[in-house]
Amino acid sequence: MSWLLALPILIPFLTAICAFFLRRTGWCRWASVIGSGVLLAVSLLLFATVLREGVVAAQMGGWPAPFGITLVADGLSAVMVVITAITALAVAVYASAEISERQVFLGYHALFQVLIAGVCGAFLTGDLFNLYVWFEVMLIASFGLLVLGGKKSQIDAGIRYVMMNLVSTVFFLTGVGFLYGMTGTLNMADLSLAVQQLENQSLLTVVAVMFMVAFGVKAALFPLFFWLPAAYHTPSFSVSAVFAGLLTKVGVYALMRAFTLIFVEDVAYTHQILLWVACLTMLTGVLGAAAQSDFRKILSFHIVSQIGYMILGLALYTPLALAGSVFYLVHHIIVKGNLFLISGVARRITGSTELSKMGGLYKSAPVLAFLFLIPAFSLAGFPPLSGFWAKFILIKAALEIEMWWAAGVALFVGLLTIYSMTKIWAQAFWEPHPEEIEPSLKSLSNFAQVALLLPIAGLALLTVVIGLNPEPFMDFATSAAGQLLDPSDYVQAVLGVTQGGTR
Amino acid sequence: MEFLLAITIGVMVAAAVYLMLARNVLRFIFGLILISNAANLAIFTAGRLTPGAPPLIKEGAYAPAEGVANALPQALVLTAIVIGFGLFAFALVLVYRAYTTLGTLYSDEMDAAEPKGPAQ
Amino acid sequence: MAAGHDEAKGNGFVGWLPVLLSAGIFAFFLQFLPQIAAGDTLRVEWAWAPSLGVALSFLVDGLSLTFALLISGIGTFVLLYSNSYLAGHPQYGRFALYLFSFMLSMLGLVLSDNLIGLFVFWELTTLTSYLLIGFDNESPKARRSALQALLLTGAGGLAMLAGLILLGAVGGSFEISQLVPQAEAIKGSGLYVPILILILAGTFTKSAQVPFHFWLPNAMAAPTPVSAFLHSATMVKAGVYLMARLHPVLSGTELWFWTLTIFGAVTAVFTSVLSLRQDDLKQALAYSTLMALGTLTMLLAPSSGYAITAFATFLVVHSLYKAALFLVVGCVDHGTGTRDADLLGGLARFMPFTAFTAALAGLSMAGLPPFIGYIGKELIYANTITAGDAATFVTVMALAANALMFAVAGVVALRPFWGKRGDTPLEPHEAPWPMLAGPMVLALLGLAFGLMPLLAEVNFTTPTVAAILGDAEKAKHLHLWAGVNTELMLSLATFAIGGLLLALYRPVRRFLEAADAATPSFDNGWDNILDALYRAAKWQTGILQSGNLQRYLFTIFATFVVAVGGTLLLKDAVNLGVALDDMNSPRHWPELVLIVAAALVTASSRSRMLAVAALGVQGIAVALIFISFGAPDVAITQLLVETLVVVLVAVAMLSLPFLDERGKNDRRPKDMVLAVLCGVVVSAVLIGVLQGPLDLRLTDFFETTAAPEAFGRNIVNVILVDFRAIDTFGEIAVIVVAALSAYALLRTTDSSRDRDEEEEELS
Repeated sequence: MSWLLALPILIPFLTAICAFFLRRTGWCRWASVIGSGVLLAVSLLLFATVLREGVVAAQMGGWPAPFGITLVADGLSAVMVVITAITALAVAVYASAEISERQVFLGYHALFQVLIAGVCGAFLTGDLFNLYVWFEVMLIASFGLLVLGGKKSQIDAGIRYVMMNLVSTVFFLTGVGFLYGMTGTLNMADLSLAVQQLENQSLLTVVAVMFMVAFGVKAALFPLFFWLPAAYHTPSFSVSAVFAGLLTKVGVYALMRAFTLIFVEDVAYTHQILLWVACLTMLTGVLGAAAQSDFRKILSFHIVSQIGYMILGLALYTPLALAGSVFYLVHHIIVKGNLFLISGVARRITGSTELSKMGGLYKSAPVLAFLFLIPAFSLAGFPPLSGFWAKFILIKAALEIEMWWAAGVALFVGLLTIYSMTKIWAQAFWEPHPEEIEPSLKSLSNFAQVALLLPIAGLALLTVVIGLNPEPFMDFATSAAGQLLDPSDYVQAVLGVTQGGTR
Repeated sequence: MEFLLAITIGVMVAAAVYLMLARNVLRFIFGLILISNAANLAIFTAGRLTPGAPPLIKEGAYAPAEGVANALPQALVLTAIVIGFGLFAFALVLVYRAYTTLGTLYSDEMDAAEPKGPAQ
Repeated sequence: MAAGHDEAKGNGFVGWLPVLLSAGIFAFFLQFLPQIAAGDTLRVEWAWAPSLGVALSFLVDGLSLTFALLISGIGTFVLLYSNSYLAGHPQYGRFALYLFSFMLSMLGLVLSDNLIGLFVFWELTTLTSYLLIGFDNESPKARRSALQALLLTGAGGLAMLAGLILLGAVGGSFEISQLVPQAEAIKGSGLYVPILILILAGTFTKSAQVPFHFWLPNAMAAPTPVSAFLHSATMVKAGVYLMARLHPVLSGTELWFWTLTIFGAVTAVFTSVLSLRQDDLKQALAYSTLMALGTLTMLLAPSSGYAITAFATFLVVHSLYKAALFLVVGCVDHGTGTRDADLLGGLARFMPFTAFTAALAGLSMAGLPPFIGYIGKELIYANTITAGDAATFVTVMALAANALMFAVAGVVALRPFWGKRGDTPLEPHEAPWPMLAGPMVLALLGLAFGLMPLLAEVNFTTPTVAAILGDAEKAKHLHLWAGVNTELMLSLATFAIGGLLLALYRPVRRFLEAADAATPSFDNGWDNILDALYRAAKWQTGILQSGNLQRYLFTIFATFVVAVGGTLLLKDAVNLGVALDDMNSPRHWPELVLIVAAALVTASSRSRMLAVAALGVQGIAVALIFISFGAPDVAITQLLVETLVVVLVAVAMLSLPFLDERGKNDRRPKDMVLAVLCGVVVSAVLIGVLQGPLDLRLTDFFETTAAPEAFGRNIVNVILVDFRAIDTFGEIAVIVVAALSAYALLRTTDSSRDRDEEEEELS
């Protein structure tokens, strides 16, 4: 068990090392692909274990919790690791055709794999300070990836991205210090018990809000999201796809973890704030998207708006709402990463991501058009695709507890999402190309066609599968939400073991 | 003493935030150094201050003497210092690179990622 | 429309396959007819998402079977027609796929018993309609119309989704058949009004009731067979269908009655006036479709046998003649190259079959005997005169609408074919048989049902009434001749007024054109809404995502202060009073003063050397604090790192410019206030933290196990390399990756960067 929990962190690290030493050779990209494939296999194994046994935990170094560091996987963690592995594999394959030899030589794949390691670490750790460490691993790797290539816009975006994220890092670190100073522990399961013993519950709420701000920057909540639309349209497409899929979601995950496991003493206050923030995030994000005229900028703002939906589920804090959040996370990562990958192919064959300079894809690249329609309409919430169910669950959850305006905002934002997705469709796909070229996939090499389109098709297939067969995913999301709402299993799994075994 | 240190940390944070809000990104770097120190000091203080004895175990003993300093925050701060240094070093190189590429250190003059005006 | 491709080539297999499939579907549904006519219903169910109450359950009763037969029957003819109409079109495969998918979605919609299942199909029809309206995707008009239809029906659809969820919550199930017994409870619920309004928002937009009607005429940008199928015979009736389907659950209240009556009546009259104003035959038909939708809505308002029988009859009547007329107009367009009423005339000589078909369908539309249209009209009047309070209002509205329809029927179905030959772009020629077969069969059915009303009554209207009212006894009989009564008088008045309008067609149309031009247009209103939305989006994004990093950071720190500081005040979390008495250790004052002074110098200095020096001093002072409080390892690391930091900054500064442009003063009072507030908040929270006790059990464990179990004497080191080894592992990763990233950042020199960009352009 110990190994199964540590492997999703170790495999990407080992892959990163291999990729680094192979970076002068053509093997580098295959190392990255194979490493990601192995990661996927291991994460599925972990997922199956969690499904079978419930929450599993392992004490690193054999030191009992809460003294050492515990790795722990409940439903949410396990599914996040699986989705991370899927994204990693898709992007690794895509990158093999996209990333120039020069960037591979400068360490693209090594950075990419370290990023994945950081993300997996963040999902699996059961220790708050250790979470900080994984955040930093992820962050520094993302810095490197963002500016790799050194275009002017990347450097500028790098400045914005780095500075705002460093501020959040400091908030987080300080918050960890404060929480330790109050409770004397860092283990999250232990914290969930220790915070109940605190005399000064008001101060706990203050620290909770501090974490909300720190994670809010990472998750790109209103009004802290500026770094995201400032940066995501600048790096290579595979990098923006992996960023879009995973980075903010680590923030969302951290919020979901912290505000179900640790900060649940004053739900009426903290989750009320989250509710307002969620609605404002949805609205400002989608309006931002409506105002853009660049393929990737529209997609970037949509990330913000959809983070709002996930936080809405957390804020409503009912079993159905949290299940909606989990479902939304899974759906969103697949769909959003895919759309960024598609934008990259569109850029290659039309020559731009500026919508006014694109066009003609529907006529001359129908395969790409079809592959775009699936995630685009899924994102817009059309049935029977994954996004419909995600929205449906959240709206149902909001209506069930009579949160009329929250449901209204979610619906209205859904409409505006349709508006801006059709903007891309109408301008890049339907409208003829302004320079009257006929963009075709045939202009790509055979290898590029396969390596670029295979991940896109695979992710689109997943979107359709979730859409047509939502029940198992819903079942799973419900049980994951149950574990979040009643953390006793989690606490038992972490604290009830002594030597790195199962419970 | 802890109270005084808390105030001092507040002053460090204030100075750091003021620096980070400047238009010159080099000042942001100064602010970053300062605020990282403030955060480390905050963790250290939150672990309570014990004057004197470092948390060492004498040869032959199984436990440290009574009243040694709290070791855990020290370990956390050590990790944080090193991580902070890594982040700082990258940020500094990025600032340097921004100057050579964009020709300015003023954040409001950097407009390659988010160009202003109707052409957006 | 049909130009620009090789007609002779045809569409081959792709053209014929969907025709055969839909004919098969039609035959499949036909077999249920006797059973349903006998009063049975069928229901099948497959689980889909049971945990959400969503199932794929299908109910075949009179209402859904009538719709299913109309959909699959007309669908077959439309696909047959399209195969000739768009013969050799390079994208016919997509067209047929969308059209066929639409048909399946529409069938799913009318057969679903589960509200959410129904919604899924509802949205699928919206989606396929979007793709079909925009089929001529290089035309800006088509793209605009497609988006308009999508957004308007999409908005209604989302509102409806909320309504359906609420309805399911109140009724305890998403299955319509299980909601019917709950009808009284639902109507008595406090949520009835919002449920009704939300659901009607969906049905009114989909069925294009005024003021949401304008998308439908614009949707005529789609190829003519699409207009005939989606935007006349089937999809736009989805809204009407849902109102009929939920009639047993939601009707019977004042709100239901008056909302449907008023919206329906206003839509019927307003749009039939607009219909007469059009010079494009297809537009005239589009507006007359709106009239039909208004009438159908109006007929669903009451729960009387007359009203629902009239509804069922008029539904069939309209689908038959309207699909036929649309397809006829397509034939005319195909044969002459125009649809302009002013250019067309005397076509009967060249297009005899088309003219014959048009005449049959037109007579049914005009409501003349012995067509089923006549019976439909008689029933409508029979309903209006018995409509209680609303009788006068609805009778007058129905009379006006029907008279106008009479005139429009003349304009569309007669004038192009008779009289003087017009000046058409193409030499008129008859359409091929696949394009004639459909309209002719549909028009002949209108005559057949008129002559044998029992056929329609037994198979369609009575089972439909039974499905809606729950009782086949309430259905009225269909007669061509019911004696001299008020309905007959109203019919005669209809013909007289309609005939007059037709005789005065040109002056009437000129008058209507002038009136139309003088009134504000809904279509422009739509553009204004979208413009306003875009401007609002631009405005708010301009404020939030301003592009100014300083402003971003200011907002983030301000959020921190407001959120954390606000909570601190609101919750009264820290009592600052008690802490003041621990100022009794002046031993460490020098370090503290040094830190404060150095921090302030760094913040205020305009000399970068001074700032760096102050930073160094501050770092050393922090290290001294670490030493004083038993942390020599930390202090050493701090000193080392601080030295490195200062050296690195100094080296970097060699090639960087000065901090400020000369003469420019960097004083920022607003930032200063925010900075001070940040400091205050951090201090206050830290003081609060220090006021509580600290549980040292982790440290105790480390102290007692470090030596015996982890074999280390420096507890800090043992924690780093053993207890919390993963932290250290991550820490090393950060340093290595920072070096790697920095190296990559420095190595991408300008020349190599350009090469990268070039490669990217080329690949």
